[in-house]
Amino acid sequence: MSERETLTIDTLEEVKIASVATSQSEETKNEKLIVFGEMLLAKSKSLLLAALGLVIFGGLWELLSSITKDALPGPIATLTVLYDMISDPFYDYGPNDKGIGLQLFNSIKTVLLGFFLGSLVAIPVGILMGASTICKQIFYPIVQLLKPVSPLAWFPIGLVVFKDTGLATIFIVFITSLWSTLINTSFGIASLPQDHKNVAKAFGFSKMRYLTKILIPFSLPHIITGLRLSISVAWLVIVAGEMLSGGAGIGFFVWDSWNALSLEKVISAIIIIGVVGLLFDKLFTYIENKVAYKA
Amino acid sequence: MSYLEIKDLEISFPTPKGKYIAVRDINLSIQKGEIISIIGHSGCGKSTILNAIAGMLTPSAGSVVLNNQSIKGPGPDRGIVFQNYSLLPWLTVYQNIFQVVDSVMEGTATEKHEIVEKNLKMVNLFEHKDKLPGQLSGGMKQRVAIARAFAINPGVLLMDEPFGALDALTKGSMQLEVLKLWNLDNREKTIVMITHDIEEALFLSDRIIVLNNGPSSTIREIVEVHLPRPRNKIEIVKMPEYIDLRDKLLHLLTDKFSIEDMGMVYKG
Repeated sequence: MSERETLTIDTLEEVKIASVATSQSEETKNEKLIVFGEMLLAKSKSLLLAALGLVIFGGLWELLSSITKDALPGPIATLTVLYDMISDPFYDYGPNDKGIGLQLFNSIKTVLLGFFLGSLVAIPVGILMGASTICKQIFYPIVQLLKPVSPLAWFPIGLVVFKDTGLATIFIVFITSLWSTLINTSFGIASLPQDHKNVAKAFGFSKMRYLTKILIPFSLPHIITGLRLSISVAWLVIVAGEMLSGGAGIGFFVWDSWNALSLEKVISAIIIIGVVGLLFDKLFTYIENKVAYKA
Repeated sequence: MSYLEIKDLEISFPTPKGKYIAVRDINLSIQKGEIISIIGHSGCGKSTILNAIAGMLTPSAGSVVLNNQSIKGPGPDRGIVFQNYSLLPWLTVYQNIFQVVDSVMEGTATEKHEIVEKNLKMVNLFEHKDKLPGQLSGGMKQRVAIARAFAINPGVLLMDEPFGALDALTKGSMQLEVLKLWNLDNREKTIVMITHDIEEALFLSDRIIVLNNGPSSTIREIVEVHLPRPRNKIEIVKMPEYIDLRDKLLHLLTDKFSIEDMGMVYKG
């Protein structure tokens, strides 16, 4: 054994460990406090600015309302109606008069179902396109051709195929949900670095281990980003889709309120649509952060 | 026949312009327990030779024979330390090593966990086992990569510029770390490493393989290093043999360059 070599290493390590140990406890405490304080400050500042934005928005809205001589209902009138809507969300007085909660529930159900079916197709096809150049060459032109088409254009086809407006609405959400997920998934899979592949090759990873420990963890953030974009667009499309299909949902509610000349209800619905869209986005951003990793 | 025998090795890649020969006529006999450095300028095919031993590349001619068995692909008898650590960023330090041990080695789960723990302790990273690679410094990442390669207890350890990305101080302690592991293992592991640091090569190796510049590089010279072990960095630099060897290596690696440089100066 080489005494000198090991000796040098040991002393080196000891010095390192000693210096780390003494400074660590106090410093981390102080650092944590400072970080927490800064975070609090930044949070309250951003909240304040957001509130300021809302006040400016409300002011402009009020101004516009008074210019149009209340043809456009002002914030107070609208919020009163919104409050009424929210306080009794689940009443059901027949097919044309349902509470906002029921309508919303209907829309969310449709979106989730279409989105789920779309993802079920988009993720595997995306993986195939990312993993194989041949698959990409087969599918990519179709994707490029169909992606820019407004999902509403698919509505008549849905009607013909399913002979049911509800199913046709799910169908257009399905189509909408495909593209972002498909493209992001295939990009994620295709951009797997050679380094990671080399690890699998050098240490003889099985197919299963390669899939679960390398390919999926690597591409998951890309896939979730795709899903987040997809559900945002799906939520955009559902309103228009339900205006076409009628009968149920938040889109139908907007259209119905317009026909009943209740702009307060229309604006209230817009606010609700915005909030739900925001919540969807937040949910997926949360999942995105959960699966993200630092290279 | 020696432990690791490289015979008339040629590696070429097909390109649109025709065959590109990276290295050719490589002949090397490496004994068990030897530490070999491959040194040369960028693009001279150092990594290519290492990858051929690793089994990551297939020779277009010649052969690599380890322990009387021709190398057909990667195997558990060779542990690789990649140039840029190549840790999986979504796995903890512990899992990075465990997945490799679990993939390569036989035995029960308990035995495998013991192996991982032993190797983590060997590189002084046990208390960091639940961290992700992104939370580690460059030196710590490199120690994980080395522990990962050692954990599968390979006969041959292949290291591709293992300390290239580290600062001088960390580099020094990592070199000692590798020697420590090599000593702990009764100097039975064969180490083939790539470097372009002459001092590092002299400090660590028994023989230094100097390559010609690519393409189609060949071995320019094999320099034997007879400095006594254990080597002390401070003492060996004063030895006349060390100084001679360093000058020799410096000449082998720079003579061509200085001529080119002079040409540039006069032209300019």
